[in-house]
Amino acid sequence: MKKIAFFLGKGGVGKTTISSAVAYQFAKEGKRVLIVSLDPAHNLGDVFQKSLANTPRSLDANLEGMEIDLAVWVEKYLKESREEIKANYMYQSAFSVDAYIDILKYSPGTEEYAVLWAIEYVYKEYGGRCDLIIFDTPPTALTLRFLAMPSITRLWVRELSRLREKILQKRQTILRINPKASIVRNLSEETEDAQDEPKVRGAAKKEDDLIYTKLSSIASRLAELQRLFSHESYLAVVVNPDTLSVAEALRIRQELGKLDVRLNSICLNKTTEGGEGRQNVEKNFGDCPVFATGLRQGGIGEVSQLAEIQAGGLKNDMKRFGQE
Amino acid sequence: MGAILALKRVFGFAGKVWRLATEVHRIKATDMLTFEVNEMENLFTILVCGSFMGLPSPPAAIAIELLPYMEHELRLMVARADFSQDALASIMDMLHVD
Ligand SMILES: Nc1ncnc2c1ncn2[C@@H]1O[C@H](COP(=O)(O)OP(=O)(O)O)[C@@H](O)[C@H]1O
Ligand SMILES: [Mg+2]
Repeated sequence: MKKIAFFLGKGGVGKTTISSAVAYQFAKEGKRVLIVSLDPAHNLGDVFQKSLANTPRSLDANLEGMEIDLAVWVEKYLKESREEIKANYMYQSAFSVDAYIDILKYSPGTEEYAVLWAIEYVYKEYGGRCDLIIFDTPPTALTLRFLAMPSITRLWVRELSRLREKILQKRQTILRINPKASIVRNLSEETEDAQDEPKVRGAAKKEDDLIYTKLSSIASRLAELQRLFSHESYLAVVVNPDTLSVAEALRIRQELGKLDVRLNSICLNKTTEGGEGRQNVEKNFGDCPVFATGLRQGGIGEVSQLAEIQAGGLKNDMKRFGQE
Repeated sequence: MGAILALKRVFGFAGKVWRLATEVHRIKATDMLTFEVNEMENLFTILVCGSFMGLPSPPAAIAIELLPYMEHELRLMVARADFSQDALASIMDMLHVD
C-alpha cells in the first residue's frame, strides 16, 4: 500500500467523509492511520467529534488525527527567514526587511509553498509510525497548485543553480589569473559614506557559496516531494452523480496529467443502490476504476457510521499498490 | 665590476617592468571578468526578485529562502540601479505603492 492518500474533488462531494471513512475502516483492520486536514475550513474534527490540533491526537485505536493551520506555517517560515536575515546582514538599515517580507507573504505561491513544507514535515515526523497518512484536501484550486509546485519550482531552481554555477566558475577564473583579485565588487571602494564597510569575501567554490548550497537543498527537498506525489501517493477524485462535480473531476484529471501525477481512481459518492450516474462517470473516466461508496440515509452523524460508507472496493484498490 | 652591477640593475629594472606589465595585464583581464561576474550577479538578483518588476519569476517563496544569503547581491543591485538608500522604498515607488 502507498504511504499517502489524497482525495480531491468539488466542495461538498464528500472528500472529508470518504477520507475519514477510509481512515476509520483501515484502522479497524489494524492499520496505523494518521488523518491530516489541510483544509482551512477544518471540518475533520466535526466528523470525529474531537477538537484537533497541530500535533496528532488519538481518535480511535490505531487512528490519529491532526490539522494543519496554513497561516501558522506561512508565519513560521517567514519568521525563520526574517531571523536569518537579521543574523546574516551587516546593513539592515539599507533594507526594510520586515516590510519586504510582509509583501512576500501576500505574493502568489506562498500559501502552497507552506502546504508543501507542512506535508514534508508530517511525512518525516510521523510517517515512520504509521502505515497510511490521509490528507483531507483544501479546495481544488489550492490542491492543484501545491501538487504542481514541486515541478514548476524545480525548473526555476535548476536555472538559478546553473546561473549561480556560472558565476562561481567565472570567479574561479579570475582567481586563477590573479589570486589577489577581489572576486566580488566591493562597494566600500566606491561609496564615500561606507569607508568602514568590511570587504565582502565572495565564495568561488560551490560548497562555500551559501546561495548555491541553499539552492541545492531546496532542489533536493522539492525532488523528494515530487517523488512523494508521483510514487508514494494514492490519488482519488470524489464525484457525485451530477454534472458539476463530474466536470470538476475531469478538469482535475487533466491538470494532474500535466504533472506526471497519476489519478488512481474515482469515488462515486452519494449514489443509492441503483448507482445512478455510474455509466456517465465510467464513460468519462474510461481508464480509471470507479468505486461507488453509497449514500447513507440520514447522513453521517456518529463516528461509528463511518463504517457504513461502502469503501471496500476503494480500500482493496489502495492496498493493491506497492510502494514503487 | 661596475658594468656587471649596472647590467644587474638594468635587468632588475626590466624584471620589475615586466612584472608590473603582467600585473597590469592581469588586472585588466580580471577587470573584464569581474564586470561580467557583476552582470551575472545582477541577473541572478533580478531573476530571484523579478516578481516585483513584473518579470516571470520563481515563486516568491524562493526569494524568501534565498534572501538571507543575498545581502551582497541586493546591495550591488541597489548601487547599480542608482536607487536611494532604501531599496524597498525605491521598489515601492516603482510599483506606486504607499
Ligand atoms: N456517502 C454519504 N452518505 C451520506 N452523507 C454523506 C456521504 N458523503 C458525504 N455526506 C455528507 O455530505 C456533506 C458534505 O460532505 P463532506 O465530506 O464534508 O464534503 P467535502 O469534504 O468534499 O466538502 C456532509 O454533511 C456529509 O456528512
Ligand atoms: Mg472537506
